[in-house]
Amino acid sequence: MTRSAPTRRQLLFTAGSLLGSGLLGVRPTHAQGIPVAMQLSWLHSVQFGGSYIALRNGYWAEQGLDVTLLPGGPNAPVAPPLVAGQALLGRGAADYDAAAVAQGAPFRIIGVAMQKNPFCIASLPANPVHEPRDLLGKRLGMALINRPVLDALCALNGIDATAIEIVPTQYDAAPLLQGQADCLLCWATDLPVAMAVQGVDSVVMLMADHGYEIHAQTYIATEDSLAQRRDEIVKLLRGEARGWQDYRKDPAAAAALTVEMFPDLGLDPEAQRIQAERQLPLMFTDVTDAHGFGWFTDESVEANIRTLALLGQEVGPDLWDRSVLEEVHGN
Amino acid sequence: MTGQALVPLRPGPWLQGAGVLGLLLAWEGASQASQSHFVLAGPSQILERLRLDGGLLLRALLATLRAGALGFALGVAVGLGLALTAVLAPRVERPLTTISLLLFCLPLVATGPVLRVILGPGIGPQVALAALAVVHTTFTTVLVGLRAAPASWFDLVRSYGRTRWAELWQVRLPASVPYLLAALQIAAPAALLGAMVGEFTGAERGLGVLTIQAIRSLDVVGAWTIATVAAASAMAVHGGLGVLGRRLDIIPPPVLLAPPPDPPVRSPAARGLALLGLMGFVLLLWQGLMDALALSPFFAKRPADVWAYLVAGSDAAVHRQTLLVALGETASHALPGALAGLASGAGLAALLVLAPPFAAAVLPLSLALRSIPVVVTAPLIVLGLGRGPAGTIAVVAAMVFFPTLVACLSGLRHASRPILDILDSYDAGRIRRLAIAQLPAMLPALCASARMSIPAAILATTTAEWLATGRGLGSHMAMTAMTSDYAALWSSIVLIGLAALAAHAGIAALERALLARFAPEQLAP
Amino acid sequence: MATDRPPSIEVRDLSKSYGHGPHRIEALVDLNLRVEAGRTTALVGPSGCGKSTLLRLVAGLETPTSGSLRIGDETPEAVRARGDLAVAFQDAALLPWRSVRGNVALGRALAGLQRDRTAVDALIALVGLSGFEERRPAELSGGMRQRVAIARALAGRPRLLLLDEPFGAVDELTRGQLHQDLAPLWQAQGTTTLLVTHSVAEAVRLSDRVVVLTPRPARVAADIAIDLPWPRGTGIGSNRFHAFCDEVSAALRDSGGDQRLAAQ
Repeated sequence: MTRSAPTRRQLLFTAGSLLGSGLLGVRPTHAQGIPVAMQLSWLHSVQFGGSYIALRNGYWAEQGLDVTLLPGGPNAPVAPPLVAGQALLGRGAADYDAAAVAQGAPFRIIGVAMQKNPFCIASLPANPVHEPRDLLGKRLGMALINRPVLDALCALNGIDATAIEIVPTQYDAAPLLQGQADCLLCWATDLPVAMAVQGVDSVVMLMADHGYEIHAQTYIATEDSLAQRRDEIVKLLRGEARGWQDYRKDPAAAAALTVEMFPDLGLDPEAQRIQAERQLPLMFTDVTDAHGFGWFTDESVEANIRTLALLGQEVGPDLWDRSVLEEVHGN
Repeated sequence: MTGQALVPLRPGPWLQGAGVLGLLLAWEGASQASQSHFVLAGPSQILERLRLDGGLLLRALLATLRAGALGFALGVAVGLGLALTAVLAPRVERPLTTISLLLFCLPLVATGPVLRVILGPGIGPQVALAALAVVHTTFTTVLVGLRAAPASWFDLVRSYGRTRWAELWQVRLPASVPYLLAALQIAAPAALLGAMVGEFTGAERGLGVLTIQAIRSLDVVGAWTIATVAAASAMAVHGGLGVLGRRLDIIPPPVLLAPPPDPPVRSPAARGLALLGLMGFVLLLWQGLMDALALSPFFAKRPADVWAYLVAGSDAAVHRQTLLVALGETASHALPGALAGLASGAGLAALLVLAPPFAAAVLPLSLALRSIPVVVTAPLIVLGLGRGPAGTIAVVAAMVFFPTLVACLSGLRHASRPILDILDSYDAGRIRRLAIAQLPAMLPALCASARMSIPAAILATTTAEWLATGRGLGSHMAMTAMTSDYAALWSSIVLIGLAALAAHAGIAALERALLARFAPEQLAP
Repeated sequence: MATDRPPSIEVRDLSKSYGHGPHRIEALVDLNLRVEAGRTTALVGPSGCGKSTLLRLVAGLETPTSGSLRIGDETPEAVRARGDLAVAFQDAALLPWRSVRGNVALGRALAGLQRDRTAVDALIALVGLSGFEERRPAELSGGMRQRVAIARALAGRPRLLLLDEPFGAVDELTRGQLHQDLAPLWQAQGTTTLLVTHSVAEAVRLSDRVVVLTPRPARVAADIAIDLPWPRGTGIGSNRFHAFCDEVSAALRDSGGDQRLAAQ
């Protein structure tokens, strides 16, 4: 509730100014520092729980940063605000980042929040999909734009994609529950969670466990920013890492904080709690234990390049830049 | 019994109440029967949700209303300004009409991200999208109003040697007031929809945000509750404006027709030149706007980028192929949907005239459904009808159906009284009254509905494709935005704009031909 | 109707009111009137006296609040249902999208008669519009449209013809021409004709009998038989014609309706 007061004030201010360009993002009330914005890839949710902890606990403010977290949405691609310089850091994914670079955006991936890609095949226990082979002969509900993801999975596991009947859906679980599909291609951290909250158990086959290696929830910045605002980027990522370390210790508290900070989003506390739990194993692995939050190895970059090639995207290792992480975790 | 048929559609309030109650009961029954399908939530569940989450919904509603109201005011002001300009300088009317139609047809999925960058964080995109949703209808409706005075009034003003300004003050503005009110009523739900879609570009509160959450988390009751809240508030604004009009003694205008002005008689060469000039102007405007705002060419593509993508580039043929296939798929939903909406709207209007008590129940419902933003209905309808063509076609038909019904009913009511008396004196009966006098009188309204259905069909199809079915140009645009393929996105927008203009020109020609035959008085200047 | 003969009209204690409570308007109160079969009766009276209401009641377009109205020995609805009556108003009320021929043919069709293009074209010729069969109403002058409306009314071979200011919207010269051309048509068909008009001269010119009504509530103030010979084309302007006009005007004046009539 400490958030609502300033935002309301800002809202009035915005309403007063003609088209409203006042800042509406979440920012600490007390911070007086260098204004910095991070563009999130979706609406606020515990998916970004570590960032909220960093904000609430002043991990950025104490470094002299005044951080705004810009919410995303179904019609809010991450790349434009980064290119336009409105956000210093953005949350992407290796495949989207590669596509943006191919279109001329000078992005670098400087950190990876999700070590394991959250794409999964979700099914019901009565008709489960435990491994890629189980997909044969099944009706798979998926958004058509994810077709390359399925093809990559099939190629990685040597199965015939034509033996899977694709039911075109958009991103919701209803087709599975209505019986129009036997399984869904989705993120392990959202639709299965939604089903769990509705009291529906599901079987989740993580595609990352079957060779699909695409860094998700990447941190991206433009080469320009990396050259000119490197210090701020390092501080931003450092605060982020501290926030996520706290998150790891108590995901339930992060879920509660998320719900508290965004009372107007209609977040379901139970769903946030389950999601907070389920994304832990995707974010924290042996690699992060050894090197710190957000780290990526040369091997995983190689694996990403291979998977991206299967998705039809040719990239080199210079899409990734570990120097910021090295600075963050170096001291 | 003819006496009753003469004054249809004014049933007693209790009859209306009974109709609404019956519909509510049917709704509840259907929701109970389909409980396990995650499709439909009934009134009882919605009431329960309102009780539990009332505060949240109210805050969301206020946030959306605030942005919607700002956009409404801005859009109405711009629409009014355009209409006044067109009246004072008739030469610019056609370019203005074209540009406002193009703006209206810009797909939400495409404008959102660009507006977010231009306007920055905050409620800018919400306000701008609400305004964009309002400008065109306000412009066209008020323009009709500014012309809705008898020629003799203008002669009177001119006989005193007064200027165009006096004409505007003394005749046009007073004559346009009822039309302005009608324009505001049309604009209210549209502004709400614009504000909700604006929230899709990143917001922390509002009905649009809650809609995304509800649909993502399989919260069917939530989605229906939001739909109910949105519809109720749009209806309240609509009704409030109606009450205001009655207080001020503003008589609702007969029919909002405004057939597009006859193209001035010119040689084909001159017409082609004018068209080229207009296109050049639009392109200049586009380029100039992008440059003036210093938008990065990474996402803010210019005419030359689209030209390269579609025509000059090395892969242009492949690109054209991809986009035209997607456009074809979109058209294959939009066209049957619009036709189904027009046919069922006109058909039901005719049926209501044959059986007036029906109108009692159907009219309030039609207003309610017209007020529900398509971003909420599209996923719900697709949820019910499936992701095949049927779902999308139904979404489009629903968008087109309600305005058509209202316009056609109004048209039917404006059948010439003396002609109906003549028919009654022969005891012609309701069906013959309908066929001989009322249906022809309805044609202008149907034509106007068809013209207005173009942007509606585009909006509904691309939204359904984007949010629900994952097919066609709407989904393609969403995907290109996600993968930063902005040249493809802008090319899609250009294609949609061209398709909309072509459809508009086709319907306008058909309309002029029909009106010349059935309602020559509508074409009088 | 038992026979093909034109019917008489019997009006007894006829009342008609509109609205309720304070908004109630009494258009007619206890009116008594008889219209003879096969003749033309003109109703004159001050504006608002209820003569148009009476015509609408006879046409079955409205239902009486009380009293009785019989056409022959039937109700207006029964006569109407058989297509035995036709009306023409001040507004020609033509369908703008139909040709002259189409509009006239509509009168036949609505009266339940067979299609008969020859008969329709003959009627069009009778009202003096030969050569205009394919024109649309928008292309015609006001007088021509009124001719079409009369032709449409006659096309159904009505036994009762109800005319409400049929020439009210046309200029004086055209009106005289229409009087001369059209009145013989319905007289030749032997219909019972009820003509509502503001014009004293028109009433005298076209009718066998002029009924003068008082201001609201309407009563019969005078009932004047016009025994000028038919056809009257040449007799207009005669002393007798003017005498009848003076008599009707005097009756109007005595009934208190002249000032309002003059104000029209």
